[in-house]
Amino acid sequence: MANPSSKAPLGRRSLFKAAGLGAVGAAGVPLVSACGEVSGGEGSVQELDQTLDILPEYKEWPLPVQPDLIGDPPNHPSAYLTYPNPVAQAIPNPPSNSGSYQVYVPNWGPSPAKDDPYYLAMQEATGGTKIEFVQSDGEAFAEASVQWIQAEEFGDAIFMFGWMTNAHADFNETVVNRFADISGIVSGDISERWPLLAGRGDAAWADSVWSTDPENPKDTAGIYGVPWALNGGPGNAFYYRADLLAQAGLDVPTTVEELLEVGRAWSDDKAGKWAFAGTDYMSKAWFRLAAGHGWYWDGSGLVHNNERSEFKEWVEFQRTLTDEKLRHPSVGTPGFEPKQAQKSGEVLFDQDGWNRWNDLTLEMNASGENPDFELGVLGALTFKDREPMYHAAWGVGGWLFFRKDLGEDAIAELLDVSNFCASPYGTKEYEMIHFGLQGVHFEYDAEGKPAFTEAGIKSKQDSLAYTAMSGSPQYFLDGPTKIVEARFAFNEAVQPYLDENPFEGLRLNGPESGVNAGTVFDEKVNDIIYGRAELSELDAAIETWKADGGDEAREFFEKAYKQLHGE
Amino acid sequence: MAVTTPAARTAAAPTKTKAPKARRRPLRHRLRLDWPLVVLTLPAMVQLAVFFYTPSAYSIIAFMDYSPYRPLWENPIIGFTHFQILFEDPYFVDALLNTLQFAFAQLLFVFPFSIVLALIMHSVVSTKIRSTFQSIVYLPYFFSWVLVVSVFAQVLGQDGLLSRWLVGMGGERLDIMRDPDSFMFLAWMQWTWKDAGWGMIIFLAALAAINPALYEAAAVDGANRWRRLWHITLPSIRPVIVLLLILQLGSILSVGFEQYQLQRAAVGWGASEVLDTFVYYRTILASNGESLGTAAGLFKGVIGLLLILAANNIAHRLGEQGIYQKS
Repeated sequence: MANPSSKAPLGRRSLFKAAGLGAVGAAGVPLVSACGEVSGGEGSVQELDQTLDILPEYKEWPLPVQPDLIGDPPNHPSAYLTYPNPVAQAIPNPPSNSGSYQVYVPNWGPSPAKDDPYYLAMQEATGGTKIEFVQSDGEAFAEASVQWIQAEEFGDAIFMFGWMTNAHADFNETVVNRFADISGIVSGDISERWPLLAGRGDAAWADSVWSTDPENPKDTAGIYGVPWALNGGPGNAFYYRADLLAQAGLDVPTTVEELLEVGRAWSDDKAGKWAFAGTDYMSKAWFRLAAGHGWYWDGSGLVHNNERSEFKEWVEFQRTLTDEKLRHPSVGTPGFEPKQAQKSGEVLFDQDGWNRWNDLTLEMNASGENPDFELGVLGALTFKDREPMYHAAWGVGGWLFFRKDLGEDAIAELLDVSNFCASPYGTKEYEMIHFGLQGVHFEYDAEGKPAFTEAGIKSKQDSLAYTAMSGSPQYFLDGPTKIVEARFAFNEAVQPYLDENPFEGLRLNGPESGVNAGTVFDEKVNDIIYGRAELSELDAAIETWKADGGDEAREFFEKAYKQLHGE
Repeated sequence: MAVTTPAARTAAAPTKTKAPKARRRPLRHRLRLDWPLVVLTLPAMVQLAVFFYTPSAYSIIAFMDYSPYRPLWENPIIGFTHFQILFEDPYFVDALLNTLQFAFAQLLFVFPFSIVLALIMHSVVSTKIRSTFQSIVYLPYFFSWVLVVSVFAQVLGQDGLLSRWLVGMGGERLDIMRDPDSFMFLAWMQWTWKDAGWGMIIFLAALAAINPALYEAAAVDGANRWRRLWHITLPSIRPVIVLLLILQLGSILSVGFEQYQLQRAAVGWGASEVLDTFVYYRTILASNGESLGTAAGLFKGVIGLLLILAANNIAHRLGEQGIYQKS
């Protein structure tokens, strides 16, 4: 797959064709006879093999302090209720480096100023390596990364979340052509120089392997990125304002029907109160729709969400939110911030990643703005008494990729920093990476845990910089004790309902026609949801989706599924 | 003192023979004379070469099965396949029709608005009022589309100032920011607010060049305000109007990107898809996107060029200068 082979470079005939190009053709006169085939776009499959020899040798990194609540990682992470005192040092002897690098990372919140003492302190702590982080909004970052990577203009390294790779037409091809293969540096026993990276485990590293030739995956496999956190357990959360729900005398809903009733009881369009902000990606599980690529094995073949009756129910539910004015009217318009809307009480429910629970609670605690403020998370809701389902997060959450022509020494130096940043909760390194400097960005709270100061909330809390350099050997729940306990209990409760990845062990890029047809279909569904088209138009849209690429995508995914499961 | 007799004058009168052509100086000689002018144009020439002509040469990838992962010359030429894909794509046709609608709306409703604004400004005698009004009208031109759309959402959105006021008065919330049927009107308001001031400045410059003696003479002859406008002002700025009109026709298929992309989620793609957003979603974020996107860009460029040439030709026929002097 590396460097797609050329079929026929400029030949005599081709040159003749090239000479004929210009205004006539460009203006639309069809010259079909002069047309050739366009290659690519047929999709690609990569196997994730944990037995590959190139993976770093796993050496357990012993935790300095054992967690208080023992879960079953990765789907049920363990948790710390208390903060160790004294805090352990994960890397007692930092390396001695002096390189200077530029790393592109997405960012959602504010980030420290360029001259913030945090960066200098981190430079010293990580061994002298200076890193300039180029940050931009995550959504824009995902789309802009397509051009940055193809133009090889992303500094020395770039961090990509797994979901961001969807913006790339064929990310498998992008990886092997644009990023450095670091197998030669990280294969074998790396525990002496990078003990924390060695402790990441085979699952994380195997998810960072790509093959240049998918027909011969084992022999052409290479490690192309430093794995970020290994996901597991419930992927995201649907938050509600527990304090406002209690004040209104409403019960926490457990079914979609109850949720709608609560929404109706709460919403008052005239008073500027709406029950819902974002609901799209969280609500699909309530209707038992599949996550990921959206395919579901019904025993005889793959069926896509789009063509299932449950999908129609989901669209109806979404349309109800619009028609009955239960959703904040600014959802989807530029400048609308759902987190702020929930914080201010304009909305009751909103979806987000797990960080909001800690972040918003700590932010409200620090400001003292609303002492009653309390967030809760809805469990696995059901619809029409069906079995509940909760979408789980699968695989590695993202990767740090290095520039293809970055030297081995430079990559090794950045891996020193990654090793530092792999330090788990309960270490001095983690504290510094995530909370910044004591007295500036955080202070220890009454429980003895680090808690952001107002300055830290404004500059550090949401910032993704050094945190992007690597995931940890193990991921733990941390934060205010009450939230940690609630989340641990939540994780335990939803374990039976977590969905499974039907393509576990494969990394798939669907065919282009399917992706394009899906994009067009999604636009149509959005039109229906927001009242710009009628529900009756859905069936025709499904047929168009199938004809324009849905069926081709089914063929591709079904082939992969059958090979994987031996069907 | 030499006296010229009538006979001598007759003899000296020019004959009807063809005037001898001015001797063309050799290039070397002209360069020696005009080198300071040439030097002055150098930065512009370098800029054009680097940012316009060199990228234009890469238009060849519209005719290739291009992949960014191999050298340019190793990409096979496949002819007009990408144009065929483009023209057969129903969403391209929709995007093209939307683009044309927006473009003509801009031409019909924003362009004349700039002229009207300039005429009003020109008629204001007080320099203080004129400069204040000019600054207010001109300022939004420097705002980004993100800011413009956000301001509109804050004012006209369903949760905006006006909606809140209407609800407070017992009315309904405004739906204009989410209504695909009125998106053209919304877009017109946004263009006018953002761009009309810029157009006004150019016309004001043209108005400033009109000789005041013409107005004085017309006033003495009894011409009222409207007659002066009709017989002096508009004819005087007509060359500038024609020039700007022709240039705008050249970029008729480039109605913008951010304005439509930012409001796509709110009004849906059907109302907001234009060629530039089509290129973004269907080609930049898709495989083989470079070739298909370049094909779409080339199509836009060729149509623009043809329109400029046609409009310029019509301008010349009507006795106008157009974008260049007809030799």
